[in-house]
Amino acid sequence: MDILNQLIGGFAVALQPINLFWAFVGCALGTAVGVLPGIGPALTIALLMPVTAQVNPASAFIMFAGILYGALYGGSTTSILLNTPGESGSVMTALEGNRMARTGRGAAALATAAIGSFVAGTVGTLALTFLAPAIAELAFVFGPEDYFALMVLSFTSVAVVMGRSLLRGFASLFFGLALGTIGIDTQTGQTRMVFGMLELLDGISFTVVLVSLFAIGETLYVASRHSSAPAAINPLSGGHWMTRQDWVRSWKPWLRGSVIGFPIGALPAGGTEIPTFLSYALERRLSKHPEEFGQGAIEGVAGPEAANNAAAAGILVPLLTLGLPSTATAAVLLAAFQNYGLQPGPMLFATNPDLLWGLIASLYIGNLILLVLNLPLVGIWVRLLLIPRQYIYGGIVVFALVGVWGLSTSWVDLALMCGLGLIGYIARVYDFPIAPVLIGLILGPQAEIQLRRALAVSQDDWSVLVGTPISASLLGIAALVLILPPLLAYRRRRAELRSAEPVSAN
Amino acid sequence: MSGAEQARRPEPRRRPWWLGLALAVMGALWLNGARGIASTTNYIGLGPAAIVLAVGLGLTILGVLLMLQALRGEFGTVDDEAEAPPSRRAFLFALAGVAVPLLTMQSLGFPVTAMLAFALVTHGFGSRRTILDLAIGFVLGSAAWFGFSGLGISLGGFLPLIG
Repeated sequence: MDILNQLIGGFAVALQPINLFWAFVGCALGTAVGVLPGIGPALTIALLMPVTAQVNPASAFIMFAGILYGALYGGSTTSILLNTPGESGSVMTALEGNRMARTGRGAAALATAAIGSFVAGTVGTLALTFLAPAIAELAFVFGPEDYFALMVLSFTSVAVVMGRSLLRGFASLFFGLALGTIGIDTQTGQTRMVFGMLELLDGISFTVVLVSLFAIGETLYVASRHSSAPAAINPLSGGHWMTRQDWVRSWKPWLRGSVIGFPIGALPAGGTEIPTFLSYALERRLSKHPEEFGQGAIEGVAGPEAANNAAAAGILVPLLTLGLPSTATAAVLLAAFQNYGLQPGPMLFATNPDLLWGLIASLYIGNLILLVLNLPLVGIWVRLLLIPRQYIYGGIVVFALVGVWGLSTSWVDLALMCGLGLIGYIARVYDFPIAPVLIGLILGPQAEIQLRRALAVSQDDWSVLVGTPISASLLGIAALVLILPPLLAYRRRRAELRSAEPVSAN
Repeated sequence: MSGAEQARRPEPRRRPWWLGLALAVMGALWLNGARGIASTTNYIGLGPAAIVLAVGLGLTILGVLLMLQALRGEFGTVDDEAEAPPSRRAFLFALAGVAVPLLTMQSLGFPVTAMLAFALVTHGFGSRRTILDLAIGFVLGSAAWFGFSGLGISLGGFLPLIG
């Protein structure tokens, strides 16, 4: 089969010693940042962006993929042992996992999380292997209006899904879109919104925005609300490994989590959080021991952990086949592709098969490396948490400086880091989501290009935007995403009012 | 998860109307900027100003809506991780650590700047062993400088004043 041949070719790339080395570096780094609070995979990859100037693309993406997967493994460790999820995808794991750790079953919780991550990561990667080329084939028929519609769908769903308020989601999105208009217009050479500063002609660097909003904003936030109480690590001693019964209770949640996680991750605004919520709710309903939920039910660890890893593989589907990022991490990966002058999408499968298949093959290998790194060595990773907080955040600021100053040794970038860092802090305090800013910044200019291309082809006929079945239905879904949640909330409120009325009448 | 969150009702915060105002001002800036962009006449379809205009319009509308929401007191943030009350002093020290590169990066170079930034941030986090922090910061900054120079990434001169 063609796909199998391609995959074997990919393994030939990924198994080269130098690429194995990068995969290992990525997995170790990913696990470390997953364990540490305040640093996530998106930020880590952004800080490593200067490296892309020196390392060949296949190696760099193999490392980045290791970071993406590794952060999920590391995140589950802190959730279970400390009840402090290192990543948003691990929030649900903390519920049952930490309970298990407190009752001396931490080792079993860590094991089911790691093995579940491995199973789901592998299932997800398999699905990616066979699905991605098919979707890339489909995408060949996409015209500019279809791409535009797809991006509109991406915008609305990111703004609606992320964060707690529609208004704040859209405020974040438009902030990102606005930043994206700064610089030279690629189609006419006009300068836009540069405020007379030559440094802004190339636009605002994605790395600067991401590093400032995440790293600097988070540092300022934690500094201002820092409590000096040290975190207590639950002792692992006395905990025993998974029993036979644990295995019996875990394998179904692993598979169900994979099945929930992958497709949701592959949606334009999937992310890794929602599948974990769904998986947790499902396991709770299906469990033969519902009374154990809240007291440390192993299904509640196995399911969500599998779901978030499968979702991480799902995220790569729209990114690699359509160039559509659905999370902050995917947006950084897209920026990294652009650094190499590559545009993810259907063409990439034809022009750079070694890179893409090497990346996909490395996901299988990375999962194996991570299982080895995390199961026996978990005690070492937990030690990372003994590093005092002030050094972690001091280090984050120093590496943020490396990432920003290393781009082009520009003073303006440093000033932007300071200003955007403050905005990131405000966003953190007032609960504005960051991901829509990044998606708006990186997809906005592309959406504009596609829109203008579509209108140029149609000679200014706006009906072209709904001219194909694909674009019309995508825009329709985008409208639904926008309208449906407030409508449902309104109906629920009315229903509540109606049910409350008779009570008050009585 | 919702049990604990719902049990702790979010305290009614100040009404942050200025957030919406800032967004609306930014929108006005973009709207004004769009006027300054010459539209090329020989171009079919949308010109370069159209998106700037659309984004400016969007920002302004969202800003006004946010302002109204805040003034009605419906903003409702839940800031569930804030166990400790905000400390202005710590915040300012951390901010100084982020801002100090603006003053020192070009003249004193990366390692010294990293040292100062590191020490200021750790001070903000409550560390009082300043000499040790300065030393760690300098070692970290120098290591980063040498490491990235080895990769061929320029972080400027090691100590520009000395040359």
